[in-house]
Amino acid sequence: MNIKTNNSEQCNYALQDLYHVYDPEIGLNIVDLGLVYELYFDETDNKVVCIMTLTTQFCPMGDAITTDTHNSLGKSFPGWGVNVNLTFEPPWSFAMLSPEGREFLGQ
Amino acid sequence: MSPLIGGLQKTTNYKVVLPFYSYASLGFLLGTILLLFSTEAVGAHYFNPKTLAITHTMALAWGTMIIFGASHQLLPVLVEGKLDSDRLAYLTFGFSAVGIPLLVYGFYVFDMGWPMQIGAVLVNIGVICYLANVLGSSFKSKHRNVHAWYVITATLWLFATTFFGLLLVLNFRTPILSRNSVDYLSIHAHLGIVGWFVFMVVGVGSRLIPMFLISKYTNDGILWLVFALLNIALISFMVLYLMAVPTMLFYIPVIMGLTAILLFGRHCYKAYQGRIRKSVDQQVKTSLISVVQMLLPFVALILALTFLPQGQFPRIAMIYGFCIFFGWITAIILGMTFKTMPFIIWNKVYHNKAHKGKTPAPKEIFNDRVYRIMWYSYLVGFIIFILGIIILNQLILKTGALALLIAAILYVYNVAVTAGHKAKQT
Repeated sequence: MNIKTNNSEQCNYALQDLYHVYDPEIGLNIVDLGLVYELYFDETDNKVVCIMTLTTQFCPMGDAITTDTHNSLGKSFPGWGVNVNLTFEPPWSFAMLSPEGREFLGQ
Repeated sequence: MSPLIGGLQKTTNYKVVLPFYSYASLGFLLGTILLLFSTEAVGAHYFNPKTLAITHTMALAWGTMIIFGASHQLLPVLVEGKLDSDRLAYLTFGFSAVGIPLLVYGFYVFDMGWPMQIGAVLVNIGVICYLANVLGSSFKSKHRNVHAWYVITATLWLFATTFFGLLLVLNFRTPILSRNSVDYLSIHAHLGIVGWFVFMVVGVGSRLIPMFLISKYTNDGILWLVFALLNIALISFMVLYLMAVPTMLFYIPVIMGLTAILLFGRHCYKAYQGRIRKSVDQQVKTSLISVVQMLLPFVALILALTFLPQGQFPRIAMIYGFCIFFGWITAIILGMTFKTMPFIIWNKVYHNKAHKGKTPAPKEIFNDRVYRIMWYSYLVGFIIFILGIIILNQLILKTGALALLIAAILYVYNVAVTAGHKAKQT
């Protein structure tokens, strides 16, 4: 897990809720899956930007996962604007799994 | 910051997809009922009313309708765009849903009159609507990967199959072709089997199987090679057949087709080896077994090329057809139904409930225990029925058909359970 951020404290706070956002098919949370790439916080305008990926560009649950992520960040930062943006650069890979995620998947 | 790409493709409306799944499940049930009450047809020539009725039930009401449904859902994923038209999808369903029973009824009573002719026309209109939707969706998108080309090609071959089928139906009453319709059956059958079913299964399976295994293995080069081999095999088979060449030459398309299937099998095996999640669920296992089952028709085909020209063992043609329609086509549908349909229902029921409580996983939407019983009943029925064809024993044939009917009933039950799922949240 190596999430880029401009505010470590806010990032850790956000992660507490993001640990409860699951990929419904895999049954693992998006943080341990390594789907969250970047979290940026703008305390002046009260905005949070999450840049994340999916295990595959063709993920049938992609829409649900990004909606869940959006709702999670909205819960962590009530009243803040939330942007969840998808990127596939770099594409998700096994190396992005946390040790807990690897153990969960039987690696 | 990382370069961003646009958001996700919008998924197809579940209302478009679910009627196809429901209809296909009833088609499977009807196919197994017809099989149970038509086992005496096994000893006859394959051109007989009941065999034709069963074959068209399995090919159209079962295989084609569920592929129509699944592909309306998957096409946006494959072309990285959206489905061109929901209306065309509804029309595809409407024309096909009415046309298929008329066609099957015509075969069953062996009346080449108006029900069969109108049925064939309606099926063709349904296929044209589907073709328009596939082409519209594909060419309005800027991205067409190898999987999309498989779907486009399969749909063109499907239209060739159904249009040729219509000509054959009309040719029974009014000669419009140079030969008797029966002489063209092999071409019509292989246009559908290879051109439609094999292309669709390879094109979509090569995307879905690695995705469901969470495998990073991809090899577009191999998939393009398979694409070329299948097209050349199919075209060369038709040319050789029309030229009435010696039997030995038919090994050429058979070997090309076999090579293509082995390469597809290798692709699936590599994806399996490269999977990130070690545990593999029963539905994906079912689909992987169906890939192995694709080899059985080749065994039957090679035996047919060896024995049929000498008039020996005519039932090998029955085994060939059974291994296709009740074999790998049915097996891959049994597996993929309960991988794709739970996602559709999950997205329908829980999409807007994300992070508002714990939601069940898609695999918890259907009854896994019933699925397993269905799968074993299917496997037992499939093996027993083949044994029954080989030794031509009615009791064994009825036993095999009964096991397949039980599998179909359990399949319909699980489709109904999945379709009727309501939100459960804690």
